Amino acid sequence: MPVVLGYCRLVTAFNRWLAGAVSALAFVMVAVIGYEVVARYFFDAPTVWAMELSTLLFGPYFLLAGPYLLHTAGHVNVDILHARLPRRAAGWLDCLCHVLIALLAAVFIVQSLPVALNAFDSGETSFTAWNPPIWPVKALIPVAFLLLLLQAVAEAILAARRALAGEGSA
Amino acid sequence: MNSSLVLVLMFAGLLLLLLSGMPLAFVLSALAVVFTVLLWGTDALVLTVLQTFDAMTSDILLAIPLYVLMASVLQRSGIIEALYRAMELWFRRLPGGLAVGTVVICTIMAAMTGIVGAAVAAMGILALPSMLRRGYDQRLALGTICAGGTLGILIPPSIITIVYAATAQISVGKMFAAGIVPGLVLAGLYMAYIVIRVMLQPEKAPRQEARAIGWRERLGSLTSLILPSLIVLAVLGSIYAGIATPTEAAAVGVIGALVSAACQRELTVGNLKAAAMDTLRVTTMIMWITIGAKIFVSIFTGTGGADSLLQFIQDLEVNRWLVLLAMMLVLVFLGLFLDEIGIILLCVPVFLPIIHAFHFDPLWFGVLFLITAQMAYITPPFGYTLFYIKGVLPDGIGMDTVYRAIVPFLVLQLLALALFVLFPDLVTWLPERIVQPSQP
Amino acid sequence: EELPSVNWRMQALWDAGTTPYEYEKHFVQRVAELTNGKFQIRLFAGGQLAPSAQAFEAVRAGAFQMMKTFDGYEAGAIPAFAFTSTVPFGFPEPDQYEAWFYEKGGLDMAREAYAKAGLFYIAPTVYGQEPIHSKFPLRSLADLKGKKGRFVGLASTVMAAFGVATTGLPTAEVYQALEKGVIDFADRGDLTANLEAGLGEVAGYVVVPGFHQPTTATSYVANRAAYDSLPASYKAALEVAAREISASLRQHILAQDAVALKQFEAQGVKVIHLNPDMVAEGRATAMGAWRKAAGDDELANRVLDSQIAFMKELGLLD
Ligand code: NA
Ligand code: NA
Repeated sequence: MPVVLGYCRLVTAFNRWLAGAVSALAFVMVAVIGYEVVARYFFDAPTVWAMELSTLLFGPYFLLAGPYLLHTAGHVNVDILHARLPRRAAGWLDCLCHVLIALLAAVFIVQSLPVALNAFDSGETSFTAWNPPIWPVKALIPVAFLLLLLQAVAEAILAARRALAGEGSA
Repeated sequence: MNSSLVLVLMFAGLLLLLLSGMPLAFVLSALAVVFTVLLWGTDALVLTVLQTFDAMTSDILLAIPLYVLMASVLQRSGIIEALYRAMELWFRRLPGGLAVGTVVICTIMAAMTGIVGAAVAAMGILALPSMLRRGYDQRLALGTICAGGTLGILIPPSIITIVYAATAQISVGKMFAAGIVPGLVLAGLYMAYIVIRVMLQPEKAPRQEARAIGWRERLGSLTSLILPSLIVLAVLGSIYAGIATPTEAAAVGVIGALVSAACQRELTVGNLKAAAMDTLRVTTMIMWITIGAKIFVSIFTGTGGADSLLQFIQDLEVNRWLVLLAMMLVLVFLGLFLDEIGIILLCVPVFLPIIHAFHFDPLWFGVLFLITAQMAYITPPFGYTLFYIKGVLPDGIGMDTVYRAIVPFLVLQLLALALFVLFPDLVTWLPERIVQPSQP
Repeated sequence: EELPSVNWRMQALWDAGTTPYEYEKHFVQRVAELTNGKFQIRLFAGGQLAPSAQAFEAVRAGAFQMMKTFDGYEAGAIPAFAFTSTVPFGFPEPDQYEAWFYEKGGLDMAREAYAKAGLFYIAPTVYGQEPIHSKFPLRSLADLKGKKGRFVGLASTVMAAFGVATTGLPTAEVYQALEKGVIDFADRGDLTANLEAGLGEVAGYVVVPGFHQPTTATSYVANRAAYDSLPASYKAALEVAAREISASLRQHILAQDAVALKQFEAQGVKVIHLNPDMVAEGRATAMGAWRKAAGDDELANRVLDSQIAFMKELGLLD
């Protein structure tokens, strides 16, 4: 049991750290777009990279935070039935939902890996005037869903533990 | 599998899975995965990944974190609380004054962005704590923000309007102009409703201390308007003076909020970190739902879930007004569980030939269409706005409260829809006057 | 001999209800007619199943069996696609571009490019210029210097070579960006689409031909395994229908362009017809950007060399 709980703590701690790290990207996007506006309007010198760079940051920003949001119950759900269930039943239902989410994450991993590999193999770039490599963004999809899978398994374990202890989560 | 069966099964599946308490984002993609495998086999599952990648690189949705960050910085630095304090002093005699003020702020927000997720989440962060703290009824406060947050669809700029215009082959400028009066009428209806409701049930919006408030204190409170007004001016000014696109203007708004926070000596590392986490949490919630919705819509429309409904409309041979009514009903029904872009892609190409055949004005129909799209955002059980707002709610307010909160505002939207059907001039008057061809 | 019933899914490049989409309907009807109704292709609108720019991966994985696509979407992965879709300052006449495909080995090279990804290139649909919408009178290449413009793909690089500060705004934002003056000129879609979108309300000048996109080829592409399993007569039906649509859509656009230009003029928009010599003059400069886009990719260079050789034969380049 300590090993299992240690796993849950480790996964959660990593995903929490990752969310904290990507949260700063919001300010980076603001700075990049702000620079573009000033450069274009006041200096008539729009960049070829600013809008594209901020768009490329946007995906990793929210995708990598998804797993941690699962831990904080930040993904919105309908709690109407859930709130009326006995605690033990609610705990088992939670456990089942997280198992389903883990399976879903597995589907995404299996499906996104070939897409990411194709992009990597061809060294895919965006074919814009700036033309940055685009494959890293595609490669983040399997990574994010792997982290989601790990977190979902952890949440399923924690929910089962709550159910066994007879206390449900809200 | 025939179309009606797909429709019924997907709808029932959504309801059932949602009731289990599974997050909406995963409910949508899980159902899509199951139906993809059943109908098309596992080869088609790659669509889930492609839709995810598309959402990750959306230069339009980028406005969401920016507006949420702006709202969060303003909230954390106490600027918004001061604004509501001022509204309280000035609108003391107006029943439900703070909710009315919130509709005004929503309308201003609507003129900045057409991304509903951005507006609703931002307004939830801005307005909700201030109203709840003063004992406003939860449902009144929530309903106001959800309904007000969708005004951005009608009031330009609005991406949905652009998508409709492109699909219907109408001038974007005319569609924008056509949305202004109806948008303001709706805002007016919301305000009138709030005032009347609070007059009838004063406990919904308690008035603050009965003590006399001097003019000195009132005028003093006006200083709290300065910073928010400057930000509004910076955002709207940069859009309308051609300095920035609507997405870029959102970043201008964040910079304005940061400067304002600095003026208040509230630009602390702690505040910035907290604002960054708020923003990440809300944006992530919205964007994961967006991914789920994109996948769900692509499978639902692809497998012909709406075909039987649309075929039914095409085969109708009745009075033109009944056909119009049937189209509106289909739109409202699909709005129960599809997002507006999905509805546009599905319905507009089918409906437009019918609109032309019956000699309805496509511009006018467009506004009716946009109002039903707005309703789609707030109709239980799958109004996306309702989910977004729940994501910023304090603990202890459940989904059922949100669902009940929205009902009166839905009725108001139906009323507005009837109003514009009966008085088409409300829609067409403005575009016929202000959109002129440009002269070289 | 009894031929099998085959059911395919195909995603179009454009939204339902648009003119090019109507021509895709003709395409699938034609394929059905040519195969006695045995080969049925179910048509989906652009972006309905997969986002248009991602359709390539969808067909590759077999989510649907074929697509109409714009090769330029994948030019970042397969550089040859920069030249099989549209070339800024390239062939001024669609017949010349189509001749490159059918007479100068272009079709085989396009097939070679797609084969690497497990896809089969059936045939192109080739049509003429897309216009430039401008807020200033654009009459010579010198007028471009210092202006802000919206261009995408290879065109943005080429325009930069003429001193344009380019930005790649989304299509949806072009109207507003022109209206508010965020940009001075832009490319968007064909004349009819732009007329309907109301660009005449926000930009006082229409400049034709749009040298950034003088000719365009979109492509019918199929999943290799699905294509290989077809009887020979079905394969032929796809090619015949594709070639038919190429001609009929091109002629339709040609006729519509004239109508659209008249309507722009009726709106008070000034139509500027550029001198072919001016476009030819820019071609030499653009060639530098073409070379850069081909980079050190073997196939891309072969495609480009063959196009340049043909342009020389046609007297388009010295
Ligand atoms: Na708006
Ligand atoms: Na809805």
